[in-house]
Amino acid sequence: MDVIKTIEGDTRFHHVPVNREESAIGLCSGAYMGAMGSAALMGASGFMTVIYALTKINYTYEIPLFLMATLRGAVGDHHKHHISNGLYLKPVLDAISMPYQIIERPDDVGLISRCYHHTRTFSRPMVVLFTRDLLRGGGGGH
Amino acid sequence: MNYVECFRAIARHRTDEIVITSAGNSGQAWWAATRDSVASFYLDASMSLSTMFASGLALAQPNLIVWAFMGDGAFAMNPGMLMVERQMNLPNLTHFLVSNRAYGATSNAGLPNSDHNDYAAIARAFGLERVYEFKSTAAIEHELPKLKAANAPGHTFVVLEAEPFSDAEQKLEQPPFDGPELKFRFGRHIESVTGADIFGYRI
Repeated sequence: MDVIKTIEGDTRFHHVPVNREESAIGLCSGAYMGAMGSAALMGASGFMTVIYALTKINYTYEIPLFLMATLRGAVGDHHKHHISNGLYLKPVLDAISMPYQIIERPDDVGLISRCYHHTRTFSRPMVVLFTRDLLRGGGGGH
Repeated sequence: MNYVECFRAIARHRTDEIVITSAGNSGQAWWAATRDSVASFYLDASMSLSTMFASGLALAQPNLIVWAFMGDGAFAMNPGMLMVERQMNLPNLTHFLVSNRAYGATSNAGLPNSDHNDYAAIARAFGLERVYEFKSTAAIEHELPKLKAANAPGHTFVVLEAEPFSDAEQKLEQPPFDGPELKFRFGRHIESVTGADIFGYRI
């Protein structure tokens, strides 16, 4: 499933393409201070570049932020350049005490809105992680 | 021009603009010039994200006028922000770039290629149209009112050529707020002037 094109084509959303993932953290945090709901969508590698921005903005000021990212480097992902994400993405999340929810089946999609609302209760960031198999619509490959 | 005097000159022309500052010096200078803790958000040490933060706010609240400050050190970390700003082209956003040719928040550590960086030219190369450069407080006093009154489409980019902080200015007080206090002071102000509900919990 092409998540970006799906969002872009959905008139309920205002899609803002950005130059790098940190810009999305700044934009969504400012949108919150203007009472606009938002979500930052990025890949696993991009997520690994935003740890400073998350801890500096969203933890320091306790600004809620909802993120959606891919979960790369898991079993079934044969791209060797995602090994580091497989090894370190979840440990990094644990290291900054950032809650996450893995979305690996179509039945899990309903959890996304619960996670969004949790950011508003928690006043900090939370990420949902989409497995590659889910986004590719398959049940897992070699 | 002197950094703090530059900010004092800008502050003299401020009416109801919402202000976002960047790391270190711009926050210190705006605090010294205004002591504003309600309609200013001191986004300390965001490493280049003050104008992205301001863009999100300006997008969410198109009736607010938003001024965002950052130093050229922050700009150097993420110049692609201008691509996003140009694409969003928010008429209620003004991006003030303080060109002091140094990383002021790290004791004026040197900025690469500092003698040759032409920020206005960079902005124009990204397609920005409302680009201004102020090199003196006299220019600010003369030109800023006209810039504010223009009511032109598209977002505005202003380069402020300023001297780095002196050793004495580096000791200026930082805005004395913990993050959540600043969030609520600022957010309650936004709620009061817009009627928006930022903090109300909704299912």
